[in-house]
Amino acid sequence: MKEIIAVVRMNTMNQTKQALTKIGIDSMFAHECQGRGRGLVDVKILAGASQGYEEAIALLGEKGKLYSKRMLTMVVSDHNVEPVIKTLIETNQTGKPGDGKIFVLPISNAARVRTGEIGPKAIV
Amino acid sequence: MDNHMMMMVRAIVRPEKADSVLKALMDAGFPAVTKYAVAGRGKQRGIKIGQVTYDEIPKTLLMSVIRDEDVEFAIKTIMEAARTKGKGAFGDGKIFVSPVDDVYTISSGVCDTAPVEEAEATA
Repeated sequence: MKEIIAVVRMNTMNQTKQALTKIGIDSMFAHECQGRGRGLVDVKILAGASQGYEEAIALLGEKGKLYSKRMLTMVVSDHNVEPVIKTLIETNQTGKPGDGKIFVLPISNAARVRTGEIGPKAIV
Repeated sequence: MDNHMMMMVRAIVRPEKADSVLKALMDAGFPAVTKYAVAGRGKQRGIKIGQVTYDEIPKTLLMSVIRDEDVEFAIKTIMEAARTKGKGAFGDGKIFVSPVDDVYTISSGVCDTAPVEEAEATA
């Protein structure tokens, strides 16, 4: 079992949900979050800040600007990890900085509350 | 490219401390952070004010995926920034570290377990 955490753009949520449903991943958990990346920001703002325009410096801020993102979390079986990641990349890729990240974490166990099933069959 | 083990660091901090932690992380060289609001209670079973017990205290969760060897330094940075001045107080938060198998950058579509170095290589 693997947990896949994807941080994606807000406006690609619907496409992502549809695409994931098509490959058979119906269950997921989503919430809003804010984040910053490696610091690749708008070139214009950077240029303005280096020329000393105060508005541009204020936009950059000293703690880095946080952008609104959507975080998707899903726990899938091992054989599903690859198709899910492929789908997530295909639906969310624009090629510009800010498209997001996908993290794959190991999950040691899972349980279905309704039936009390424990182990891999709880997430099928 | 070297395969570095990546670690996910999740820090639950006071909402009013989130900004100073973010700034400290930026200065320490960890620009990439995700934050979201959470609610929870700790070992003290919430706060009791008068007759009312508040056991869903609002906190902020800061999540960052960094390289294995940087974890110790990142934790130190977060600790110093998130601690209430002086000795610290109950409710300052917790930090959890868990292993990450893979990291993918959506914009390039590549699986990079060492995102920092690759950025320098392609820049």
